[in-house]
This record gives sequence, structure tokens and C-alpha cells, in this order.
Amino acid sequence: MIRSQKFWICVCAAVFALSLIWCAAVLLAPHGDSVRISQDGRVLYTLDLSKEKDRRIEVEYQGRKNIIEIKDGRIRMLEADCPDHVCIHTGWLSSDIPIVCLPNRLVIEFAGSDLDAAVG
Amino acid sequence: MVCKKVFGMLTAAAVLFCSCTLGESSKKSGQLFAMDTYMTFTAWGENAQAGIDAASGRIVSLEKLLSVTDSGSEVFRADHSGGKAVDVSPETAWLASFAVGMNTITEGALDITLYPVLSEWGFTAEEYKVPDADRLSELLRNTGAQKISVSGNKLTVPEGMMIDFGAVAKGYAARLAAEDMKAAGVEAAVLDLGGNVQTVGRKPDGSDWKIGIRDPAGEGIIGTLSVGECAVVTSGGYERCFTSGGKTYHHILDPATGCPAESGLVSVTVIGEKGEYCDALSTALFVLGADKARELWKKLGDFEYAALTDKNELILSKGISESFTPDESHSSLKVTVAE
Repeated sequence: MIRSQKFWICVCAAVFALSLIWCAAVLLAPHGDSVRISQDGRVLYTLDLSKEKDRRIEVEYQGRKNIIEIKDGRIRMLEADCPDHVCIHTGWLSSDIPIVCLPNRLVIEFAGSDLDAAVG
Repeated sequence: MVCKKVFGMLTAAAVLFCSCTLGESSKKSGQLFAMDTYMTFTAWGENAQAGIDAASGRIVSLEKLLSVTDSGSEVFRADHSGGKAVDVSPETAWLASFAVGMNTITEGALDITLYPVLSEWGFTAEEYKVPDADRLSELLRNTGAQKISVSGNKLTVPEGMMIDFGAVAKGYAARLAAEDMKAAGVEAAVLDLGGNVQTVGRKPDGSDWKIGIRDPAGEGIIGTLSVGECAVVTSGGYERCFTSGGKTYHHILDPATGCPAESGLVSVTVIGEKGEYCDALSTALFVLGADKARELWKKLGDFEYAALTDKNELILSKGISESFTPDESHSSLKVTVAE
């Protein structure tokens, strides 16, 4: 009886410890550098900026073109042949505000975020 | 006895295990390009997908009614009716009479009849120019929300005038979409209609929603607001503007002058219960400026606001002064509380 009790306490302790480790893994997982590039709701790329080499990515939409630049672990819209260039003016992707090229339906955003939304 | 203990511990371990995974795995999100903006919906729980689909459907159908440029919309028909009454849906009729009411409440600072003036400045086609004063005063004769009439489901826009719901439509859409989400059984969600945010319930972990306020001058945010279920809407001149002769002109016009409002505010965020109300007020407070904004807040008493001035000072209304946390990049931001 005593042995069986010890056994179960050990099992519980093990499950408990595993849970703690799992929770820590879920909660502390680095998510700040993972960036998603999507077009019209379709994910084109998921990139880890901390591991990306400097490069440029070309994306086409209905004959129009965007050029995305990755440099020194940062990402921005370098060129876009849309009329307003809001996406270029947004600059480097920072905090939780996505870079959006509305005419070409292209979005660059962090895959995980501490914020739920941003206004402005 | 032992069994009970063992069972208790196992349960506790299982709960701990699940609580960490459930929150994320039941999370669904959707994106939509509509109303000239990029929208994202995030919902939790077993009805999340149904809620997102309902919200998206609602926004697409509202856009068809309210678009000022779509020749099939109700607003377009009313604008091009030559002054005749037009039959519209209950949604359009309600929003029109709401906007006329907000024109009264804000003493004219919110006006949905400025579209022809906005076009003259080139903000609608992105071919910017500074109109001359004569042309502006001529155009202003055909503005004024009080000239719009709504009777039942009949909407009348006088000849030569145009309405557009640019200052209220997204907030209204966010509120109705959030209601549809709730009807679909969603208890926790955040709807972001291009910076026009509406939350549903609380976050699944019980904590507040964290909503960032964009920095008008830079790439990041000035800080975050912690909120429960509410609408959060920002109006800022920096969203659409152009420079001519060394001067910057933005798209939020003062209905009294037909020129971009120069009230000393660069961004106004309004927090309240209903999206369309916050949307309308954020524009109105931006036009009114810091002093009159505070007066209106005291008078109405049913919303909160955060206003950033051109002197880089953030004014927080008393009700949310504890909910704001400056971003690390803005630790020196001067914050004052309006009481």
C-alpha cells in the first residue's frame, strides 16, 4: 500500500513537472522575430528574421510588383508600383503594426505579438 | 483517502497542462481586405471560425450598402438621386440619422457631407492640390449634415450635396460584426478594422486586451491601453496627407473652413462602448482640439479619450489614465490627465 502510494506520488510529481516545463516552453517561446508575408489572405513566406540573410523578395500581384527588403534582421517594403506608397512610408516593420500594401493586397506582419491590436 | 489525493493531484496536473495549450489551439484568425483597409479578426473557442465567417460576411454586405464609390451602393444612389428621397436598408437609414445626430452633439465638428470638399483637395483620388478660397466657400454652401433628412427607410440628400460614411462606417461595421460574432457563440475576440478596434469579452486567460496606439511620427507605438470589452478608434491626420509649398495638408477637414483641421492635435483615440460612436467622436475631437474635446468629454460622460498634441504631450481622460502604459521608446512622453 505504502509502495503504491509512493509510486503514484512520483507519477504525479513527474506529470506536474512536465506540465511546468511545457508551460514554460509555450509561454517563453521566442516569437518576436517570426514574420509572415501574405497576399490576399494567402501566406507566401514565414521567416525568422534573426536567421535570415540580407536579401530582397519580389512579389507580383495582377501584373504589379512589390520588392521586400530584409537587412540586418529587419524587414521593409523597398519598392511598390502602387500609387500611394503607404507601405513604403511605413518603414521598417516594428512592434505590432503591419506593413500593408492595400492595392496589391500584400501584408508583412509579426507572426506572434504581445499586442492584441493597434489603433491609428 | 490516498485515491482522493492522487486523483486531486492528477487533475491539477492535467488542468495545468491543458490551460497552457488550450488558449492557443482554440484560437482562429481571419483577414479581409474591405472598406479600403486591411482587417484582421481573431477569435477563441469552439465557435471561433463560425464567428469570423459571420463577421466577414457582415462587413462585406455593409460595404455594398455604404460605399461612396460603388455605383450599386445605397449611399451612391442617395448621392446621385438629384435630391429625391431614396429607399434604403434599415442599416443605412440608422447610420445616416446617427451621423446627423452626432453633427448636433459635436456642434458641427463631425459632418458627413464634406465629400465634395475632400475631392477638391484630391484626397479621394490621391491627386492632391490646394484649392483656392473662392472655390472652397462655393463648395461649403452645399455642405451641412442638418440638410440631410431620414424618415423611416427614406433617405434624402439634397441636390448638389453628397454624403459619405468615411468617419463612421468602419466603427459601425466593427460593432455589428462583433454582435454577429457573439450571436455565433464567440465569447472572446478582437476585430481590427484597419485600426478601428472592437473587442468581445475578455481574453481567454482573463486578462485585459492590450491595444497599441500608433506613433504618428515614427514606426512604432507610443504606448498601450489595457481594456475590457469595448471599441477603440483613432483618428490621425498622418494617415493620409500631402506636402505642398513646404506645408503638410491632412485629410481631416474642419467643416467650418473646408481646410485640414489645425487644432493642435495629431492623433485622438476614443474608447467607448459602441464603434460608430467612438469613430465619430475621434474625428470630432481631432477637429475640436484639446480644450473643446475635454469639455465634450465632461458633458457627455460616456466615453474616454487619449489625445496626442503637436507638442508631443499625451492627454488622457481620467477614466483611462490608469490603463495607459507608455512604450519603452516613449518613456519621456509627457502625460497629463484631463479631469
